[in-house]
Amino acid sequence: MATDALKKSYAQFLLPVAIGIAAVYFIVVAKGALFPFVLSAALAYVLNPLISYFEVRGFKRSYAVAALYITAGAVVFLGVWLLFHFLSSELQDLQRTWPTYAERLQAYVTNLNARLVKTYPVLAKIGLEARLQHLLELVPQLLLSLLPALTLLFIVPFITFFMLIGGSGIIDYLLDHLPARHSELILHITSRIDGSLGNYLRGILTEAFVIFLIAFTGLMLLGLNYAAVIAVLIGISSLVPYLGAMVGAVLSSIVAYLQFGTLLPIIKILAFFTGIRFFDDWFLQPYIMKKAVDLNPAVILLALMAGGEIAGIWGIVFSIPVTCILKEVLQIAIELQETEFRWKPKPEPTRISIPYT
Amino acid sequence: MGLLNVFSRIYDEEILRKLDFLRQISLFEGIKKGHLIHVLESLQERTYLKGETIFAQADIGRALFIVFDGRIELSRLDAAGKPEVIAEVNPGEFFGEMALLEEMPRTATATAAEETKVFMLFKIKLDSLLFSYPKIGVVIAAQLAKILSARLRAVLERPAGN
Repeated sequence: MATDALKKSYAQFLLPVAIGIAAVYFIVVAKGALFPFVLSAALAYVLNPLISYFEVRGFKRSYAVAALYITAGAVVFLGVWLLFHFLSSELQDLQRTWPTYAERLQAYVTNLNARLVKTYPVLAKIGLEARLQHLLELVPQLLLSLLPALTLLFIVPFITFFMLIGGSGIIDYLLDHLPARHSELILHITSRIDGSLGNYLRGILTEAFVIFLIAFTGLMLLGLNYAAVIAVLIGISSLVPYLGAMVGAVLSSIVAYLQFGTLLPIIKILAFFTGIRFFDDWFLQPYIMKKAVDLNPAVILLALMAGGEIAGIWGIVFSIPVTCILKEVLQIAIELQETEFRWKPKPEPTRISIPYT
Repeated sequence: MGLLNVFSRIYDEEILRKLDFLRQISLFEGIKKGHLIHVLESLQERTYLKGETIFAQADIGRALFIVFDGRIELSRLDAAGKPEVIAEVNPGEFFGEMALLEEMPRTATATAAEETKVFMLFKIKLDSLLFSYPKIGVVIAAQLAKILSARLRAVLERPAGN
């Protein structure tokens, strides 16, 4: 009798385990094809609250998604058109002036190298000049290698559209089929993760966009060449905390040196980026990120390095969200050990000695 | 007529039904209709099939349950360890509100007596509602205090031996 019960209890796990193994096998075999879907799922997750906002106000989901796409399409079209308007002339300019800049940089390094080697002969072994030459040759190649990523720009919004329309149905189905007894706990855990991760992702994207706008306006006012290109790079690197202002300061200083050749513009630019950094720390982050999970900069750095080690550039992109989830899961796990598994004596419920009157 | 048709095509009547339903819940009494949207945003829907256990006595409570349609039975183990039905929860009524105040073990088991759709309000969602919309928070907190006071009075007024 007992053996029968045991057999039955094992048998109920057969199908889920088989599905799990098949899913893992599929992921391993088709991991390249899955990548746009992972990106789309992340985008759908970020956009979902916007759809829910309209849905809960009575708009049918499909119409809300369509309206979002039409609006976003118009905004993106305008943004891209404006950006290309600035970028194309800048990129053409860059193409024209790049050899001159590269020559100047090379001449500077050759000069520096010659002086250094003269003073410290041991540096000759490093071959600074040859390394720079190699790096400079790599730049056009690097730009070309970014092209395949552009196809993602078309595929990802397409998949996201269908995920936004049909995704909530799948999630509702899964929620209704959770083991009933544990659904309260599972939903508690998912809503906690959703709370901190969602706020973090939406916060960091808003922050990056605001920093991009400020940097673009500031650099235009300072009269720096390639303001749009640099502002885009700053916006993207702002997704990594602290990196945005640093990348901006270094890049803009180099461009300012090549453009003006004097120290004053560089000082202005450094002051501008210090200002951005403080503005970010004192105003943007406390306001935008107040509800998000709090990650220590050292943990962020570790996450970024580990992400890069594990999965390259995309590992870096996903390292912070994954760390958010891990931190929340760890926190919940410790709380559960205390509440469900009684690691620690339970806190006494509030007791009042005066009777109810 | 055509415009009305387009509007009814875009507008989801189900939301109006849910908002009207929430207005009748005593916990949300006094919250303006416009603000009820924020409450609806914070609720999680789930359907339980007949016989499914929603939570068991001694489980740690984390959410309040509002019955939208269907019926829930609350039972408690008696001295002999046999489950005894202590209450039935019908549409428009709610249970498990203690979980919104402290994460303590449940004092009864909740089972779906028929296919039942519930709205769940998790403590974490209520907390964020309290901070984001203090006007709603004040109403819910005051209603919770009233409900608990009424429950306590009912216990005290119960004839001895029951």
